[in-house]
Amino acid sequence: MERAEGNVGSPAAVLECRNVGRSFDSYDGGGKNEVLRGMDFEVHENEFLVLFGAGQCGKTTLLNILAGLDMPTEGQVLTRGKKVTGPAPERGMVYQKTSLFPWMTVEDNVGFGPKVQHMPENERQARIKKYLELVGLTGFEKNYPSQLSGGMRQRVGIARAYANQPDIMLMDEPFGHLDAQTRYMMEEELQRIWQKEKRTVIFVTNNIEEALFLADRIILLTNCPTHIKEEYIINMPHPRDYVDPEFLRLRQLITDNMDLTL
Amino acid sequence: MIDNTKDSRFSVKQLIVIYTIISLMSLLAVWELVARFTKASMFLPPASQVLVAFCRSFVEPIGKRTMLAHIGVSLYRVGVAFFFATIAGIALGVGMGYSRLAEAILKPIFEFIRPIPPLAWIPLSILWFGLGDTGKFFIIFLGCFCFITVNTYDGAKNVDPELIGAARMLGANERQVFFEIVLPSSVPYIFAGLQIAVTAGWSAVVGAEMIQSNEGVGWMIVRGMNTGNTVQIMVGIVAIGIVGFILANLTSALERRLCAWNEQKGM
Repeated sequence: MERAEGNVGSPAAVLECRNVGRSFDSYDGGGKNEVLRGMDFEVHENEFLVLFGAGQCGKTTLLNILAGLDMPTEGQVLTRGKKVTGPAPERGMVYQKTSLFPWMTVEDNVGFGPKVQHMPENERQARIKKYLELVGLTGFEKNYPSQLSGGMRQRVGIARAYANQPDIMLMDEPFGHLDAQTRYMMEEELQRIWQKEKRTVIFVTNNIEEALFLADRIILLTNCPTHIKEEYIINMPHPRDYVDPEFLRLRQLITDNMDLTL
Repeated sequence: MIDNTKDSRFSVKQLIVIYTIISLMSLLAVWELVARFTKASMFLPPASQVLVAFCRSFVEPIGKRTMLAHIGVSLYRVGVAFFFATIAGIALGVGMGYSRLAEAILKPIFEFIRPIPPLAWIPLSILWFGLGDTGKFFIIFLGCFCFITVNTYDGAKNVDPELIGAARMLGANERQVFFEIVLPSSVPYIFAGLQIAVTAGWSAVVGAEMIQSNEGVGWMIVRGMNTGNTVQIMVGIVAIGIVGFILANLTSALERRLCAWNEQKGM
């Protein structure tokens, strides 16, 4: 483990988050509620970046801004040097609640992105097949999401994001709703999938084990207003062992540096 | 629970059918007794007499037509009105639910018209559309239209914003979000509306057929009233009840089929 060099802008960055801040009008109408402050980082080609922070610290707000679903009140987000002005299929999103379309079968969910972008049908079918195979769901094409377990649903969510072959994947606590056992399994699965088909990933979590198991680099966030507290580059080889001494040492180090939440 | 009793000669399904039959038979029995042995007999013909008349009406015409033809005429009127009400209701409901502008413009007008009972429009409908079928379509249309609109509106309002976000992230444009996400996710609501509306429309047919007509189940009742023929009134009522029951079941069967994804929760 070594400290990251400061935030030097890099031409090779897939995504740059430049001094992003976000405030909401507070409910009583008076002041402003500052959620994000001076968020400044970038993510590189095929890097697995984990944004790690406790509880309600604006991680989803940040991810929505990176996605283009929300706009920052300060600063800007650039993808390959171009400013983000709205949602786009170059950025794939995986949600905590999976947000699968419940009236569509598994294959229609996975094929939705290619479909709305008018991909020829045979090509689209090949995509669906490829990514269902990648996430291990071949044979479940005709099932509805409600017929699947939580873990399987999230596999569909991952396949759906992959099917657009996005430049970058944004994952918002995708395993947050799963039970502990399934969660471990899905972390391993995601690692396997990512090794097999590399993508630039920004993964948000509040689980330190998950962060250390997956990340090339971890950005530790503070509580509200959220800003960057520390950056850790994780150089352990994959697959990682949850009880490896180095794993445990990093876990202790990062946890000690974390803000406490209520 | 029923399955666990000692007497397991019947399945739960069979028991439900048996209880349904017992319930209907008891109703008929009470009706028969009341009509035969109380003072109500002056106004209420006995069940047996009505049933016989009902069965005879399939072969012997009432007025110019037999029962099936009357039902057919009424169904045709409800069908046409229901068809237009469905189109208008879904369009208006989805429009108001999805577009703030459409909501601001149309909702007050809609909310004003909604509580007016369809029958209140009969005089105006005669003035506007005359005594032909158009006026009847209009009355039945008003009887079903509001239910479809309100439910569709609810459905379009309640689309999970994250699903819309997900679709946009996957590359869907406004039009695709509307047709691929907003509309299908409103379907269960729309069906709930259609189910109420088909029953309401079928009920409105009596009112609609009060306007000058010489056929249809509603006419049968109005005619019975004018000639003091209580048996004929009851025959009309029974016909309306049975057809309404069938219509409601048909729509829910259709819903189960089209909204399969919504029913399989908890597997």
